[in-house]
Amino acid sequence: MACLPTGLTTHTRKVQSLYKRSVRMLEAFYDRREVFRFQAVLMRKRFDDNTKITDMIKAKALLLDGEEELFQNQHWHPRKFPNSPGGTAYGREVIPPDWVLDYWHPLEKAQYPEYFAKREQRKKEFVKLWEQQYGKSTAGSGHH
Amino acid sequence: MSALVKNIRSLSKSSSYLRCFSVRPLTVAANKLRSAPKHTPNQSLFLTTTQRLVLPHERSYSSKPPLSLKLIADRVILVLQLYDKVNPEKLKLESHFINDLGLDSLDHVEVIMAIEDEFGFEIPDVDAEKLLRPADIVRYVADKEDIYE
Repeated sequence: MACLPTGLTTHTRKVQSLYKRSVRMLEAFYDRREVFRFQAVLMRKRFDDNTKITDMIKAKALLLDGEEELFQNQHWHPRKFPNSPGGTAYGREVIPPDWVLDYWHPLEKAQYPEYFAKREQRKKEFVKLWEQQYGKSTAGSGHH
Repeated sequence: MSALVKNIRSLSKSSSYLRCFSVRPLTVAANKLRSAPKHTPNQSLFLTTTQRLVLPHERSYSSKPPLSLKLIADRVILVLQLYDKVNPEKLKLESHFINDLGLDSLDHVEVIMAIEDEFGFEIPDVDAEKLLRPADIVRYVADKEDIYE
């Protein structure tokens, strides 16, 4: 979920993101390490040339140009990390969400008394923290 | 020579194979070996080439090298020491990349990419902007890999 845009990003962050994607694109194109490093240094030079620009209109135009160039020069089969979306092992290991434990049968819960006692305690603390931050819940009592 | 080969194998085991699914043709590697300067000319090329060719069989195991907080910290520090813009004498776990080490924002991106390559998982931009000290990176990697001691 960390990939979802949740707010405004600054110009610096956008440039950082563009730089990262550009270098990863070069990495996909240039298979040999030394050739890739050479191209990456050239790419870094192109970014460094424009660091001193203070005119935001010009800087934004350059950023958009960069995005367009990256889009036009995409790789057809970019490298992905195994656990990233699109990677070979993405979603291989399913981690069940935490609330599943609340729906265990009481007999099952009774087999781990210490853990569930502590869990109830933690839930109370969490509710207290939540109410401290946001105030009392206004939802009806029929909801679990 | 065998120690050297073992070092190379352990290095490549630690980082590179985790993220390559398109296996580079071995001829490329062999060519690279041939073009690389040799420190011990009396050793035959055949030995190193066979050692290199053994690697893909080891790659097929899906286990990772064991991790602890200390090992993660060592690996992070090693990656940062090998980065040419960081002064290794000033580098400590608590030093700030931008204020103490004098890196700029693009250098920070390069550091994060090196850490991604080292540990073999992607660090999203939202998280990367918070990782401003080596200690933060160690903490983040440990959280991702479920390491608590």
